[in-house]
Amino acid sequence: MDTTTAETSSTGAEGAAYQLLTTTATAAAEEKKKTKVLVAMDESDGSFYALKWALDHFFCYPIQRDQEPSMITLVHVQPIFQPFIYPAGPVVYATPAMLDAVKQAQAQNAASILSRALHVCREKKIKAETLILEGDLKDRICQAAEQLHVDLLVIGSRGLGTFKRAFLGSASNYCAHHVQCPILIVKPPPPSKEPHSE
Amino acid sequence: MAENGRKILLAVDEGDESMYALTWCLKNVISENSKDTLILCYAKPPRAVHTAMEGTVWAFSPDVMESLERYSNDVAQCVIEKAKRACKHLNDVKVETVVEHGDPRDMICEVAEKLKVDLLVMGSHGYGLIKRAFLGSVSNHCAQNAKCPVLIVKKPKPKGGNGKH
Repeated sequence: MDTTTAETSSTGAEGAAYQLLTTTATAAAEEKKKTKVLVAMDESDGSFYALKWALDHFFCYPIQRDQEPSMITLVHVQPIFQPFIYPAGPVVYATPAMLDAVKQAQAQNAASILSRALHVCREKKIKAETLILEGDLKDRICQAAEQLHVDLLVIGSRGLGTFKRAFLGSASNYCAHHVQCPILIVKPPPPSKEPHSE
Repeated sequence: MAENGRKILLAVDEGDESMYALTWCLKNVISENSKDTLILCYAKPPRAVHTAMEGTVWAFSPDVMESLERYSNDVAQCVIEKAKRACKHLNDVKVETVVEHGDPRDMICEVAEKLKVDLLVMGSHGYGLIKRAFLGSVSNHCAQNAKCPVLIVKKPKPKGGNGKH
């Protein structure tokens, strides 16, 4: 990466000292740092709407002339399947066959969600990679955001409760509180509006 | 699909967090080529007319009220000027300013709805016992009640050395 930045900066300052070249190279290298974006996906329409909105409004043009387009990581968190069902009544232990079936179903589910999401990204010509995590949704997203050092977390919001549009879903609320990086919460559009891209 | 002309509302106040949100926004959201409209909104909290406590009612004299009013106007001017100066280098981007009176939580959501913005950007003070773990009340309220997408930018704590995990 250093050689390419040195080339782009040497066209301007042809006879400059190498010290100047290296400082501009490091400065340009910092500017060229890709924006890492993490998008949390699940089956709901809200997260697909969030993905589309983010792609439409954020990444339609490069931010600076030299900067490369951002890298999007699509993450899907699978809840861990508890092998104990109905703890209140008779405890039913799931047989290994059932566990396998559920795991397979979950894996298929995750794969289909992420492939749909990848398809959306490819349509808009944005590079994306996928990540499947297991565990509690809120914790895993915040952990992933920190460990990957993302620059932006995009999450849809599905308001549960009586006023569906008025409140944030619990996952997005939790993430908004606990994640360290900037977070973009995209709410689903009001049903009266036509679902065309604005 | 690549439409220009997004309307972005940025909520500013006297704190550092909103300036950090502004610079983050300028770095990552807005580019010089885009024909966005950046609207800076400052919500002036209303001056309490009298802080009535049991027994003692402070009736502020008109002079005091005036000077308080002037002070808060000055603060508003200062904040808006600082924010505008940060946006000076954007050529194609229209920068507008809005100063509202009232509780910031409701005012920001109202302005966002009235102007039909595409994105609301705000910083977050994160008051609370563990500063990093909580959102400020204004950003929390706006994130819940604004109808448009909300981008909350938290100012990272200056950490010397490697992070905790």
